[in-house]
Amino acid sequence: MAQASGSPDDSGRLATLPWTPGDASETAAEALQALDTYKKKDPFKVVVRFKAVGNAPIMRQNFYKITASNRFQAVIQFLRKELSWKSGDPLFTYINLAFSPAPDDTVSNLYKSFATEGHLIVNYSTTAAWG
Amino acid sequence: MSAYGTTRHHGQQSASTTPASTTLFRRLTWEGTVPLEIRVDSKELPANSDRGLECYYIQAPRVSYLPLLMPEIRRFLMDVVFDEAAGKMLKEEEWWFESEEGTLLKWHWPIGLIYDNHTISASIRPSSQTSTSHHNLQVTPLKLILHLASPPTEKLLLSPSTESCKQAFMGQLKEADFIRWGNTKRMTGLRKPDQDGIWEGIKEHNFDDYWRVASKIVPTTAPARSSSPPPASSNPSMHTRPPSADPQSAPDRDGAYTVRSVPVRLYLPDGPVMQDVVSPTLEDGSAHTLAHYLSTHLPLLFPPAPYSGPELAYALIHGVLVPPDAEMAWLGACMAGADGWVSVCVGIAR
Repeated sequence: MAQASGSPDDSGRLATLPWTPGDASETAAEALQALDTYKKKDPFKVVVRFKAVGNAPIMRQNFYKITASNRFQAVIQFLRKELSWKSGDPLFTYINLAFSPAPDDTVSNLYKSFATEGHLIVNYSTTAAWG
Repeated sequence: MSAYGTTRHHGQQSASTTPASTTLFRRLTWEGTVPLEIRVDSKELPANSDRGLECYYIQAPRVSYLPLLMPEIRRFLMDVVFDEAAGKMLKEEEWWFESEEGTLLKWHWPIGLIYDNHTISASIRPSSQTSTSHHNLQVTPLKLILHLASPPTEKLLLSPSTESCKQAFMGQLKEADFIRWGNTKRMTGLRKPDQDGIWEGIKEHNFDDYWRVASKIVPTTAPARSSSPPPASSNPSMHTRPPSADPQSAPDRDGAYTVRSVPVRLYLPDGPVMQDVVSPTLEDGSAHTLAHYLSTHLPLLFPPAPYSGPELAYALIHGVLVPPDAEMAWLGACMAGADGWVSVCVGIAR
């Protein structure tokens, strides 16, 4: 294995480079601190626009500000509450009329990837529209 | 073959126009496996179980899913561990898995991702052994505890049924399709036999069955109309520059480098998961590399050049330390998971 050269290309060296205990704890501490920074939940809210599909009832209010760090599952629960639907009632949700996200996808990630005109479109329906 | 005419409105893509190196990496990705050690929670072993034999070892495909392993695990438990009465009571819909550290394992995460996520989570826990650093990336079995009842459904969010797994898988493929092109025409254009076929490829773990359909939706790295093979090196390895990186080669409309965004997710130890637009090329026209992606999203862990300090973190894709100059578009075409997503797992260097 190549010696530590400091070159960013030499990623193979990580597997065998013997860190001295002092060095290891310093870089690890710095890295752990960095992780804490990235773990901080986004306090920002993003605009979600709900659009009914087919026979689904249209809500009085369609635009909502939702905390970005929420999982999509929370959006589904929120929608159920607004529609006064029980957990057994069929509810299908889609982004941009195109796909159903995994329930643990975050609103933040979905917004960054799929927002149009400053909002994330969430379609809802009583039937599965897309197989 | 007649299916091609109706579903495809762009250049034909067949086995002969996909470069050998692309197929090689797709096959390597497909054939990757991880060792799992599955043990029923001893508190849940019914009376008359044959204790001492309750560990089941399996070398599982990275691209498969936990629910797809359940029939095999069930057969083992029935044959070896449980007596007949207890065996009859087994209800797979109540099963759930957690790691030794108490992390709940998700049904819709590919097994390879579960494994790599565990590797990076372990990198932030203080090591109890005074081992040398190479133990970080040694391949050791991932120990799973199988619970047979009371699944925490509000956290699992999905049931462990095969049908549920298929829906989640197809959903991920559609999301990836949308990320790439801003629409899901390629997915919705698939006829039912193809849609079922791609999932069968996963269930049966058959590379050809999977790619027979996947080749219609996953971008390739070569111009579609090229008749001669690009000047690839004779020894494809992780460090070879992909042929399509040559700026002179004509970009094809559906190629890896013409997508609007590459489907990529970034996993940190114990979260969060990050996802946003990853363009194949940067503003200056150069290819978007893994190094650029990491230093843009995690500058505190991957300081941008010039940086000459010690490495703070590493990035794994399918358990492999990918070179920083790997191109995101190439990764999207050659090293995505079977669900279409490039999963980058970041761990702490020790």
